[in-house]
Amino acid sequence: MGRIGRWFDERLQLSPLFASFVDRKVPGNIGWFQTLGSATLFLLVVQIVTGIALTLSYAPTPSDAYESVLYIDSTPFGALVRGIHHWSAGLLVLFIGLHTLRVFIWGAHRYPRELTWVIGALLFLVVLGFAFTGYLLPWDQKAYWATVVGTNIAGAAPFIGDSVLVLLRGGEQLGAATLARFYGIHIWVLPASLLVLVGIHLFAVVRQGIAASPRWKPIVAPEPGLSRREAYEREYAAEKTSGKPFWHALIKDGIVAVILLVVIFTLAVGPGAPLEARADPNATNYVPRPEWYFLDLFQLLWYFTGDQEPLVIFLVFTVASLIFVLVPFVDRGNARHPLRRPFAMVLTGAVVLGVVGLTYLGATGTPAGVVKIPATAGMTPAQLSGLEVFNTTGCTSCHQIHGLGGHTGPDLSKAGFRWEAADIRQQIVTPKDEEMPSYSGLADQQLNDLLEYLTSLK
Amino acid sequence: MSENNPGEPVAGVRDLSRRRFVLRSLAALGGTIAAALGLPVLAFGSAQGWQWKEDAPAELIETSVPPTLLSDAWTPVGSLLDFEVGVPKYVIVDRPVVDGWVRADAPIGVYVVRKSDTEAVVFDPHCTHLGCPLTATPGSNAFVCPCHGGSFDTDGDVTSGPPPHPMFRYEVRVDGGAIVIGELEAEA
Repeated sequence: MGRIGRWFDERLQLSPLFASFVDRKVPGNIGWFQTLGSATLFLLVVQIVTGIALTLSYAPTPSDAYESVLYIDSTPFGALVRGIHHWSAGLLVLFIGLHTLRVFIWGAHRYPRELTWVIGALLFLVVLGFAFTGYLLPWDQKAYWATVVGTNIAGAAPFIGDSVLVLLRGGEQLGAATLARFYGIHIWVLPASLLVLVGIHLFAVVRQGIAASPRWKPIVAPEPGLSRREAYEREYAAEKTSGKPFWHALIKDGIVAVILLVVIFTLAVGPGAPLEARADPNATNYVPRPEWYFLDLFQLLWYFTGDQEPLVIFLVFTVASLIFVLVPFVDRGNARHPLRRPFAMVLTGAVVLGVVGLTYLGATGTPAGVVKIPATAGMTPAQLSGLEVFNTTGCTSCHQIHGLGGHTGPDLSKAGFRWEAADIRQQIVTPKDEEMPSYSGLADQQLNDLLEYLTSLK
Repeated sequence: MSENNPGEPVAGVRDLSRRRFVLRSLAALGGTIAAALGLPVLAFGSAQGWQWKEDAPAELIETSVPPTLLSDAWTPVGSLLDFEVGVPKYVIVDRPVVDGWVRADAPIGVYVVRKSDTEAVVFDPHCTHLGCPLTATPGSNAFVCPCHGGSFDTDGDVTSGPPPHPMFRYEVRVDGGAIVIGELEAEA
């Protein structure tokens, strides 16, 4: 320590605290997977720093927001800072998800780290709140329409949906009050909650020590008659005896941070932060699509409609969030090794598969009303008008004909070969399959033409 | 409780009981201050939610699914003869709207469907499911939603997909051949 360093240390008395922090022993078997938490923290810091910078030139009103974002992009380093904020936000959602997954698979949410999990799960929800409020702010088409859809999904929740919708929008319609509100939540409410929660989370991580990777057999042979606390302390002491100082682990954390920084800068300089056309409430050809991390939910609403929809929204938002936060009290027991928790692992696999699958389907799905099946030579007038019905009443959003159209329903390229006309008629008017909406509203003429067309496909 | 360092006076029973009293009083005071500040702050921040709940007709929320800014003015959208019978046409008109603290004439888009020589219906152009913009495919007599495949016919009735209500309509008057729209009707 140099003279200046000593001057400060004599006044702040920091070096003993610092030494006990970096020199404390951590379990020896922690490795690259344990860097996910510090990577998440790093991305949060990047978000805070760039976010503060962006507020210096941003105006949260519908008349100015879009223009102020254009202005940011035109100022020196403005596009870079906005690009970093945009891309590290996406990475943050990804990394906090991976970190959560890692902790659950490692069984690190079990005694004595239950509270650390609960706080971490709340942080996950706060990050999603940041994401949802953040992408309205540029007031471009994507921002506007994703918020229309997002607030309506919340508004479809049972009982409290109406109040939630009005509360989120700051009024019944989406406009100036909504933008001011989302800005306030994004800039003040969520960061304040974030700082408190991160503080408690990190405090708990340091006080409890980093959880050792789960072992098939404990290092110390279990002794009957010990309390849970005593048994845990003996085992963790043994982990630390064979462990390493914390600064060893910091090397990996540092390497991950540098890699992330390079990735973020590459994305911010290369593709940069996207900005679509200015929000236009009167656009009729715009296809709303949420950011990738909400695509799974958006896609889920394809499969549950009508009366089921409020139920699914209730299950996903309320029940799933509650179970997620309370995981340590649902998934109980002392065994931490994943192979000793086969049920929990199968369930985790199913959830991951579901989220990835729905996201993929949502990202690749063809929007309805955009695809048109072309007419082919030799079609009769009835078949042509049946094709018109097919193209204009939303059939193409789920059904494919000769490679064009959606994937949710069966491919109809050979409909006339596979099914009888009567069966097709029944499936259209009174479908047995829940995913298929009833088209009982079609006029008789339309229905006949449609059948004429479909049965001609062989 | 702190350990006794040599040289420091040992706290007596009286001191301990005073200490407890002072700390508890301070905690109570802190709680009171937090409530005095917190209640109005929370009430202000959530006012839209409960204020709306108090005086809202049950079906009003339905008109909140489309994000369209509301207006109670009567606005002409065109002459009846400018429209073909049964063919939806998209029209954007300026209407006086209130958007939070902003009072201005804003462009509002509507679908006009002429029904006969004396009648027309005017729809809000948003899906009643989640508020996505409806496309009227040229040459067809349907409105299709690009989000979850909902579709409506030219009466605004649902023909497929998840929309829970028919399309929202405007109050319509035909005044000397001109189609004039009023408020967005909550009852779809």
